[in-house]
Amino acid sequence: MTASIRWRKLFYSLIYIPLIAVALLQIFPLVWLLIFSLKDNQEVFTTAPWALPSTPRWENYVKVWSEGNINVNFINSVWITTVSVVLTVALASFVTFAITRMQWRLKSLVLGMFMVGLMIPVHSTLIPLFSLFTKIHLIDHPLSIILTYTAFNLPITIMILLGFYYTLPREVEEASIIDGCSVNRMFLQVILPMTTPVMVTTAIINMIYNWNEFVFVNTFISSDKYKTLTVGIQNFVGQYSTDWGAIGATLMISILPILIAFFFLSNQIVEGIAAGSVKG
Amino acid sequence: MNKVMSNKWIIALYVLPGFMFLAVLVYIPIVLTGYYGLMEWHGLGEMKFIGLGNYIKLIKDEMFWKSAYHSFLLALFSALSLIGYLLVALILAGRIKGADLFRKIYLIPMLLSSVAIAQLWLKIYHPTNGVLNLLLVAIGVEQPPTWLADPKIVLYAVFLAILWQYAGFYILIYYAALKNVPSALEEAARIDGAGPWQVAWKIKLPLISGVIKVTVVLAIVGSLKYFDLIYVMTGGGPNGASEVMASYMYRHAFKSFDFGYSSAIGFFLLLICLVVTWLIRKLTASDDHVQYS
Amino acid sequence: MRKVIWFSLAMLLAFSLALAGCGGGTETGGDSGGGTANGGSTDGETAGGGSEPKEVTLQFMHLWPAGSARQQNMIVNSIIEQFQNEYPHITIEQDILENEQYKNKLKVVSTSNSLPDIGMTWAAGFLEPYVKGQLFAPLDDLLEDGFKDEFVVGTVEAYAIDGKTYALPIELNIVPVYYNKALFEQFNLEVPETYDEFRHIVDTLAANGIAPIALGNRDRWTGSLWFMYLADRIGGDALNRAIDRSGSFTDESLVRAAAEVQELVRANAFNRGFNGLSNDEAKAEFLNGQAAMYLMGSWEHPNFTTNDEIPQEFRDSVGFFKFPIVEGGSGDINSWVGGPGVGLFVAENSPAKEEAKLFVRYFVEKWGEQAVTEAGVIPATKVDTANVDLPQKFIDLLNELNSASNITLFADVQMSPGVAEVHLNMIQSLFGLEIEPEEFAEVHEEALASEQ
Repeated sequence: MTASIRWRKLFYSLIYIPLIAVALLQIFPLVWLLIFSLKDNQEVFTTAPWALPSTPRWENYVKVWSEGNINVNFINSVWITTVSVVLTVALASFVTFAITRMQWRLKSLVLGMFMVGLMIPVHSTLIPLFSLFTKIHLIDHPLSIILTYTAFNLPITIMILLGFYYTLPREVEEASIIDGCSVNRMFLQVILPMTTPVMVTTAIINMIYNWNEFVFVNTFISSDKYKTLTVGIQNFVGQYSTDWGAIGATLMISILPILIAFFFLSNQIVEGIAAGSVKG
Repeated sequence: MNKVMSNKWIIALYVLPGFMFLAVLVYIPIVLTGYYGLMEWHGLGEMKFIGLGNYIKLIKDEMFWKSAYHSFLLALFSALSLIGYLLVALILAGRIKGADLFRKIYLIPMLLSSVAIAQLWLKIYHPTNGVLNLLLVAIGVEQPPTWLADPKIVLYAVFLAILWQYAGFYILIYYAALKNVPSALEEAARIDGAGPWQVAWKIKLPLISGVIKVTVVLAIVGSLKYFDLIYVMTGGGPNGASEVMASYMYRHAFKSFDFGYSSAIGFFLLLICLVVTWLIRKLTASDDHVQYS
Repeated sequence: MRKVIWFSLAMLLAFSLALAGCGGGTETGGDSGGGTANGGSTDGETAGGGSEPKEVTLQFMHLWPAGSARQQNMIVNSIIEQFQNEYPHITIEQDILENEQYKNKLKVVSTSNSLPDIGMTWAAGFLEPYVKGQLFAPLDDLLEDGFKDEFVVGTVEAYAIDGKTYALPIELNIVPVYYNKALFEQFNLEVPETYDEFRHIVDTLAANGIAPIALGNRDRWTGSLWFMYLADRIGGDALNRAIDRSGSFTDESLVRAAAEVQELVRANAFNRGFNGLSNDEAKAEFLNGQAAMYLMGSWEHPNFTTNDEIPQEFRDSVGFFKFPIVEGGSGDINSWVGGPGVGLFVAENSPAKEEAKLFVRYFVEKWGEQAVTEAGVIPATKVDTANVDLPQKFIDLLNELNSASNITLFADVQMSPGVAEVHLNMIQSLFGLEIEPEEFAEVHEEALASEQ
């Protein structure tokens, strides 16, 4: 008995070695990016990634801040990402609830139709979407990208929610209905809170996608006042050569907000309330 | 109960808004892609209807099949690596000290954009100044591989970067799923004398099987239409050695300006994904989803 | 709370329905959900009328962002400012993208026939589809009154199709071999005049563990430059004739040029792993002294003259030479690979075509005055070398340009986009020793012939 406990303890301490090793490996990209952002082109290409620059070029950051209108881009990135994420997760939750918890004949067909949305390569859609948005005068309007982000992230969001909704016990609904709840109230007050961890998960995923997206923004938006942070990168890619240090600085600046948002959001992925509510 | 849960108005109200988004912004492009695929069209000027001409060309196009093979290979690797991601998630969701911090650190790379990830891996694979080759030279390898320039290696080198890029995504999903398993169940099993592996195998995995199925579909479909890192890191080269279906399609649309043919590739890619998804669902079909009880 | 959610849901539904209605092909009535967007830049101007010059807003899409093309961007902005002062009723709005995104966006917007009023295009093969689709306006009226003589001979012609000119060039480049004088001195090497001397240099450097040539062939057009020069020096205009179909790509001299490329690869003339490296990565090896030579467009000239980010010492140690002649070949040492880079076009369906043309001409004139001195860009208009203050290395280059016997336009620009893609892929295979020179030629011939 004591021997087995000792073994178990040893096993648990052994497990930390690979865990810490991998953690260091996973944190390296961030450190690398910081070093990268302080180098000039020469150092970027000819020194080892972990090598520190001879003199850290903080002016890369100055350059990024002073050129272009990064403030506007930043605000655009924040609000466009936020609106799209909220819209996507809300719509996806409604759809997933109806598909997994309600009874109707066409539901597997409808689910299939949503899944088709996963399968179209982004670049096939550029030309049709551009002409669509031109026709409805949404070109060079932020709505064009918000709507596109929402539409293209809905399928994957629904898919992820799906796996969770299936596992929710039926008793929850039965109990609620017997209590005289309407479907709407049951969904909003009982089911939605139960799915907080997964909603947060999908919100994180959506946030990362939207924050880093640049193909749709570049194609649909022309005015500086609507462009997002990803144009910061454009700014330093030249016709014949590229200012990599400045790109590193742009990437570093643009990762910080989502790093913070991610830490905040991922604290919400706690144990589901499922257990408690079943018994209740 | 059944009557309430099958109220058509409520179903319509819940499903239609989301569906409308897809109808307008996804199905219209799909239909148009299918339509352009039947045309000889170079983006500008007149379209010429050529029926299945593009598809016949596609069937005979060796380069397309080569890229399709690469895409399927990626799908296979992605699906297999899910096992590894699941294992990591199981450990992180377990009761080890500091799991919360580990989880956050493990997911950091996921926040990086493809641009950053591509740059990072280019620095790793650089033939003379790269991390890998500096290490190999240090341990005495005289002629280390040139990685991205070697047609035999390039594909796997890029795959490694892609699998790493997506690790966080799947670990996050699995982690959330495992956290969602009521701890009461685990407690009960433990009191019955089950060890951590038994708890994982007998209790946790069955409960998240729905999530696992979903991730298999996501991994495979995602791989079949994968584009980003391949394009930035190799452009599909050298001479198509790392070409995948989506990069091949992109090349025809935006380099060769052959929108008709590229639309045919895009539509065909969609059909492949549909068939594969249908197969996965058939193979893993079971209507009785395990629920917490 | 509940009410709020219901309300927003209902709004969403209504909105989605409105969108769906629009998508179905019906024109927006103006009051539906989707129609509330701003109408874009070109809508306002049609409303004007009357004898006063009406307010016009012109969209100008280009690829010179302030970050990576600071000087160009500054000149563009100052020209726009001057222009707007002179023509107060015209406003110029810029949409700036990087090279690749720029090309993609140009293609996407052209499929909906909504090109910007003014934009940048490349010559020949790139331009052709747009001209065939009648998207670019002919600019010949701008060239009357002797304006055409302002351009270096042959530059404007690269933008002409069937006798009409569709863009005015603003850049001109030739491709010299840049070399590291310090490394050459270290191994007692002289600037080569003949290809044999050049091969001797390659062998000497390779034997001493220095990469003779920096090449980033992931970008493919970089390797194409080597093939083009060898083809030119061995076969004269054989390559041009193969592309314009008065000759064949299976011409013996082109096969020999391809074989010569592979000889260079076998002699370890290029840096390790070149097929997986970008041009930027290769350039870094040259700038770092790891590689001794670098065949590249004269757009790099500022890096070796005025660019402060590169150490003065290194800039001084870089020289350039003309690609050596091949004995027994029919090429001339004063024949260059190069040509005009980007040119300005005016969209055919621009509602303010006249104003746009006015701007293009204004821009080209002002640009010609400032480009070399302020941005180190050689304009396609003639530069009076006697009256400008430039580093000697720049004067040398401009003089070479003046005495050039011929400038062969970059192969991937000469060819139509489809064939260019075949060519670029074949270049990578050729350099990777994956195909034989004969097959290289045959695949080209097939692609070119099928275009007919």
